[in-house]
Amino acid sequence: MRLELGSFPVTEIVFGAATRYDAGRLTVDPDAVLAAVRQDPRIATATLEIARPGESVRIWPVRDVIEPRIKVEGPGVCYPGICGRDIATVGEGRTHRLSGMGVVEVSSVNWHDAGGDFVETYLDMSGHYGAMYPYRTLWNLCLVVEPDATLGEEIKNYAVHGAALSVADQLGEAVRSLTPPEREVFELTPVDPSLPRVVYIWCVHSPQAMSGSPTAFCTATYGLTQLTPPWYLHPNEILDGALTGPYRTAFAMSWTVANNPLFLDLYRRHGRDWNFLGVISLRTEWTTQTEKQLMANQTAKLAKQLGADGAVVTWDAGGNEFIEVVRSIQACERLGIKTVFLTSEDDATDGAPTMLEPLPEADAIVSTSFFKNVTLAVPEAPAVARVIGVSSKQVLRGSTIGLHAGADAALPTAGPLPPPWRYDDHYGFGSLSGIE
Amino acid sequence: MTSLRVVHYVNQFFGGLGGEDQAHVGVTVKTGAVGPGRALETALGDGARVEATIVCGDNFATERAAELAHAIAAELDRLKPDVLVAGPAFGSGRYGLACAHACKVATDRGVPAITAMHPENPGASEARRGVCIVPTGASTIAMPAALAALAQLARRLGRGETLGPAEIEGYLPQGRRRVHDRGRPGYQRALDMLLDKLDGRPYRSEVPYAPPERVPPAPPIADLSRARIAMVTTGGLVRKGNPDRQVAANAVRYHRHTVAELESLSPAEWEAYHAGYFNHLVNANPNYILPLSFLRDLERQGRIGKVHEHIYALPGVSTPVAVSAGHGRGIAADLKAAGVEGALLVAT
Repeated sequence: MRLELGSFPVTEIVFGAATRYDAGRLTVDPDAVLAAVRQDPRIATATLEIARPGESVRIWPVRDVIEPRIKVEGPGVCYPGICGRDIATVGEGRTHRLSGMGVVEVSSVNWHDAGGDFVETYLDMSGHYGAMYPYRTLWNLCLVVEPDATLGEEIKNYAVHGAALSVADQLGEAVRSLTPPEREVFELTPVDPSLPRVVYIWCVHSPQAMSGSPTAFCTATYGLTQLTPPWYLHPNEILDGALTGPYRTAFAMSWTVANNPLFLDLYRRHGRDWNFLGVISLRTEWTTQTEKQLMANQTAKLAKQLGADGAVVTWDAGGNEFIEVVRSIQACERLGIKTVFLTSEDDATDGAPTMLEPLPEADAIVSTSFFKNVTLAVPEAPAVARVIGVSSKQVLRGSTIGLHAGADAALPTAGPLPPPWRYDDHYGFGSLSGIE
Repeated sequence: MTSLRVVHYVNQFFGGLGGEDQAHVGVTVKTGAVGPGRALETALGDGARVEATIVCGDNFATERAAELAHAIAAELDRLKPDVLVAGPAFGSGRYGLACAHACKVATDRGVPAITAMHPENPGASEARRGVCIVPTGASTIAMPAALAALAQLARRLGRGETLGPAEIEGYLPQGRRRVHDRGRPGYQRALDMLLDKLDGRPYRSEVPYAPPERVPPAPPIADLSRARIAMVTTGGLVRKGNPDRQVAANAVRYHRHTVAELESLSPAEWEAYHAGYFNHLVNANPNYILPLSFLRDLERQGRIGKVHEHIYALPGVSTPVAVSAGHGRGIAADLKAAGVEGALLVAT
């Protein structure tokens, strides 16, 4: 499986009469783009706004950031499966991407209606809070979109995400027939057999247990979010977006998954430092101890069958999902597969262990600092000149976990605003860590 | 700069009083440095002086800890040293505990203190209670290296400096984790560590393994048919509409409700508010998170004595361990005071 990835760096986005890309300048025809979005009868309102890097602007509520990618040669479509898109196996041929930009899905649609789990992420394009995330350096085209209010929560999720993907697709079309300024070929070529063989165990949350629905919206594998046994994915499938869509943290966005620096560096060092075997994607939030242990055993077995000497492990969730993740590490180590675990840490107050289940086999951990912004003592984000999206942030009963507990209130989003409750850098973008 | 003034704690062996046959001897104070104290003075340099050496038998130190503490406190008050140094104790268990004890006495009185011992010495567990402990080898062969490491940190503590993180300064971790910028992105550090581990080079976990605290279970209830049984749930049970404004996660308080008059929990009066599981099931039947109806059956059948009139509820999601432990202590004390013999802890 050989994939050529052609990059078109975006250094400016402007609105204009026709959507086109020219030497870094992306001109967007908002009327045409929005007309396509509005063809979906589930969409009630949709507008476009531009957020520049460094600008005093806040985007709220942010559900996702998507990097436009389109398939130019080879089977299938980028971001396959999700929102009913084609499920042909991707990873072959040529893909074009608009780098240095994001399509931001701005909508008040909540993840699901089961149990106080609300959209909490907002993005700042300047200031200390903005600097904690990679999106601040991007040119962001924001789709502010609301669905028909009478629809169910799950349908609303797919409607607004489908709308954001439609915008990304239309931008991608602008570079379909152009020659990419940057090209990179990705292929798992045969390498020196003495190199150590490495897999990436990429754990992804499943919303099934929490929402009660096997089709609930979340980061999806070819559109599927349900609890399934571990998958093997060729890394080229990842590059074409076989794993895509947001989860409830700022670091679990489509853009972040597609630009996961750990994954890209693992792949680029194939043949030099190791023999990269590919990705094992493990769904998490199984509900019983037996299921958790079974998934751990099967993940390790699959890694062993692939011939792995080593594995690097990440996850994007919290709480009980730690069990299947850390037990997978234990199971790998017991099969002689050397693991490194990249994770955030729980609250350490009073010397509490910051790993939910500390296991001696997990002896090579890289910490991306604390899970919660409150533990990191991140100050309120300062007031901004402009808000894209909704002008107030409704604090639902007992929501905004860790902040304003129990108070119903509406905070003006342009004013100073507490950070969302979670930080949780899943893929090691930043250099923050924990130490004692 | 005035030279550093040190009080040194050693056991009977290093104090020159004898071996195991002298482990019973009480506290004596000698002026100046004794035994390893002389090498410690040299290692500290800059004219540092051991003003006094407190010598105590290892058995005495373990068995009569209060007397030892009293004697150490008296010497510290008299001499007002810049720093107390204890040991090194290497692999010697009673000596290690005594050294940690001496350090705690000193720090409680505002005198900086430091000791050194093997990481598996029982005294080393006191690092978790804030004692500054330099790791050493298991035997006295490691003396020169131990004294050098000890002197380097003792000198800085004695001058009133606050030490940096244990991982950087080299003392044993104290369980006080803090945010730290490592200057390189996490993904690069992870892949570097992977390569080191694959190639058999040394690597250092950024989160060292710390075994979890184990709580010994209470003895079994002698006669269940006479026991008062309470119910406690982390399932996020709230009264319908959440009038108490409980949060869905990260609970800072728990709620006590009375169920003395109730046969079971009705979905008209109770619901779940919990950010970690599918709430709809228990909203249809709240007895799933708090099985009151089932306990009432057992009560009627005489299989349990009595259902306690109060229940305790909070959402068990994303709560820091320290806060959770506080909730647990509060609930347990309440139950104990009410004569409850058994509690059904219903998780989700």
